[in-house]
Amino acid sequence: MPFSAYLDSMREDCRELVAELKKSFDYVSVLGTDVRSSVYRADRRMSMAADGEGECGFVIKMHSGKSFYEYSCDDISGDKKALAAKIISAVKTDPALVSRQISAAAVKDEPMKKDFVRETDFAGFTDEYLLGVCKQISNEICAKDEKVLNAFGMIMPYTVSKLFVTANRELSQHYGWANGYSMAIYNDGRMVQTRHVEGSDKLSEVIENTKASVDEVVELARHLVKAQPIKPGVYDVITDASITGLIAHEAFGHGVEMDQFVKDRALAKNCVGEYVASPITNMHDGAAAAHSVASYFFDDDGVLAHDTQIIKDGILVAGLSDLASATQLGTEPTGNGRRDNYRRKAYSRMTNTFFTPGKDKLEDMIASVKHGYMLFETNNGMEDPKNWQIQCTAEYGIEIVDGKLTDNYVSPVVMSGYVPDLLKSISMISDTFKVEGSGFCGKGYKEWVRVSDGGPNLKVRVKLG
Amino acid sequence: MKNLKTILDNTSGISGYRISEKNVKSYELFFVHRSLETVRSTDTKATWVTVYVEHDGAVGDSNFPVFESMSDDDIREKIKTAAARAMLVSNQPYELPAGGELEAELPTNLDKYEPETLGRMIADAVFDADDVPGGSINALEIFIYRDEKHVVNSRGVDKKETVHRVMIEAIPTFTDEKQSVELYEDYRFTVFDKEKITAEIREKMKETADRYKAEKPGRELSINVVLRPFEIASLCGELSYDCNYQSIYSHANLHKEGDDLQTGDGDKINLTMRSVIEGSENSAFFDGDGASLTDKQIIKDGVICGSFGSVRFGQYLGVKEPSGSLGCIELGAGTLTDEETEKEPYLECASMSGIQIDLYNDYIGGEIRLAYLHENGKITPVTGISMSAKLSEVLSTLRLSEKTDVSRNYKGPVKLLMKGVSVL
Repeated sequence: MPFSAYLDSMREDCRELVAELKKSFDYVSVLGTDVRSSVYRADRRMSMAADGEGECGFVIKMHSGKSFYEYSCDDISGDKKALAAKIISAVKTDPALVSRQISAAAVKDEPMKKDFVRETDFAGFTDEYLLGVCKQISNEICAKDEKVLNAFGMIMPYTVSKLFVTANRELSQHYGWANGYSMAIYNDGRMVQTRHVEGSDKLSEVIENTKASVDEVVELARHLVKAQPIKPGVYDVITDASITGLIAHEAFGHGVEMDQFVKDRALAKNCVGEYVASPITNMHDGAAAAHSVASYFFDDDGVLAHDTQIIKDGILVAGLSDLASATQLGTEPTGNGRRDNYRRKAYSRMTNTFFTPGKDKLEDMIASVKHGYMLFETNNGMEDPKNWQIQCTAEYGIEIVDGKLTDNYVSPVVMSGYVPDLLKSISMISDTFKVEGSGFCGKGYKEWVRVSDGGPNLKVRVKLG
Repeated sequence: MKNLKTILDNTSGISGYRISEKNVKSYELFFVHRSLETVRSTDTKATWVTVYVEHDGAVGDSNFPVFESMSDDDIREKIKTAAARAMLVSNQPYELPAGGELEAELPTNLDKYEPETLGRMIADAVFDADDVPGGSINALEIFIYRDEKHVVNSRGVDKKETVHRVMIEAIPTFTDEKQSVELYEDYRFTVFDKEKITAEIREKMKETADRYKAEKPGRELSINVVLRPFEIASLCGELSYDCNYQSIYSHANLHKEGDDLQTGDGDKINLTMRSVIEGSENSAFFDGDGASLTDKQIIKDGVICGSFGSVRFGQYLGVKEPSGSLGCIELGAGTLTDEETEKEPYLECASMSGIQIDLYNDYIGGEIRLAYLHENGKITPVTGISMSAKLSEVLSTLRLSEKTDVSRNYKGPVKLLMKGVSVL
């Protein structure tokens, strides 16, 4: 599937609009987006084959030499002089606020012209086949156990085309990603929901791995109906890759989004160069740092993808920035300017965030725990970068007694505490590595973007409740 | 819309359609401390078409977005693809809502001002509260929206609704040379009231100053915990999920009609789903299908007594007059007075990371960013703690305040008291 023919046809319109608005602003960019997605879903009683959330529109970003302006619209064709006048009128500022605008440095507009494409295999699969796979997954899960009340199979491929144009820069990118889900609702005196999530830019992989997850979701359901609540306390914990990612993302990642530095909203701002984690800890973020759901070629500010090392041997070395925050901080943007969609503002956002592997074997890590838990599967998390408090929820945990995993499952499990205490408690890191790309991340309670996170298994000490 | 309707009316091979259009105009201000960083404006339209195809005794449906970039030929091709997809889908038949024209607007005064003027007035109202010594507002985002929704279907529905609304996201902060703390404020309204905005932000500024002073309690607690409207609304939302037609149809509901959620001696839960709550941006005159909305009580004296939801899933369950998808929720007032609350020590949760409620796992809990410990006549701000409890025990013994208020899509008691909760 090629780059959007529509956006390709709008290149000259973008250039003309930039030229027209440049008469009034020091810097002008136009970002065009064309995102298409499909949803295939089946359960015991219903099925669905339809388009999913997509977007097609433009956001124009302007810098006056002092502050920023943005205008989002669906179409930029036609008379550019009239459109420019409409945009200028739409972002008119009350006179009482003009004197209160920031004074940010001029925006660099380095020349570059490049087209990026990452091919997918999506075109090789028909609607009928993909819906059939979902029905097969649902049917197989239901057939596994009479206690399955309902079961879902879902496949969601999407493609992204983006065009970025300034006076000196013209970039385009095209790539895709697909997620697959299997889920069971199970009742054996108690109801539980279990799920398996897959993600790849190879739809063939997503289909095979999701189909292969049927036994796993049923087996997990059989365990979870017997799960008990955890006795609140502080425990030695081994994380799976998903929980490792949750810690990387919620505990630390949000705190190094540098738009928070500008607002003095992140404790991390004052900790650059200091130990924030145990010395065996290394953490990265970047669209170019791993191959996953957030692996784009350039961000929504037209900055090329980076691989940013955030923590090096336990020391905080760098943060993540969008264009506006980097301009205000006098730093180089790191390719982390992301929008929920073209209707929304760009903020500093994480992409693929992970801890790097260590040297320990998982079995040795488990063997080192006298009494604790191994935690699995992210449920949700909430950041607090100013005060470095965290709350992360795992779907379930398995008790470890005398160095061995038991059959005692606990669910749900909420991890909470003070971030540096948690990160400094990392005492072992496995030699394995997995990044999972199926989640969405909000900024506060809005601005949802696709992210991945993960890494190796960690041994930490943390409060569970 | 008119062109789209004509194309759909002239398309063969489909048995029905729905067009759903939402035009959003916004004016947005982004402040860093007290300085204006970004001014944004948007004028965008989201249009979705759903086509329905009757085949083999079943109904298939499929939908697609219509972008401004699409030509008439593009749209015809999308309809053709959607119709083919609908042929692959075999769902239980149902009828789309029929007839009914409507043009409605939620009461507001936001339309009386130019956006840039209103933006400045709101900013002034927020920063007027920035007068707590040591306090500041480190970030402020103001979103002024005008939403126009329009639903048309092949059975004569043609309904329009206009909503003016504002969302403020403010970050009150308290700083000295030792440390700096913040809280998060998300305040929404449909009527501009300067004093009310300032009072809301000032209260959050005061709480932020209290968070600065707050310390972790020196011991584990088993104590009464009081929740505020935002968290009470989350609990009500979870309970309502069990009563939604779609949850019931897909076997995802834990409780069913007739189940008693409250076996103890607490205040009884009376929960009603509503279409309109005065002052709530979630108020609506029709749902996404264009169906008329009828308020529906779902829990009466702690017993599940009804269900609600879309016309489609209502029909699947054999409901004669489905309520439509109702977005607002009202919890009946209880009997708890302030004096009664004070009789025993309690912890009043002022700010949580996000309350965790899990019906399946019978769990309620979460990390508390700021709470007030009311004990021995003293009120002490506390932080760095988590609470957890069995949801079924909480429901059985909870108490609800006499006083009520509106918060987002919730109207109901301002306090919910949970007895004997474990706090670590």
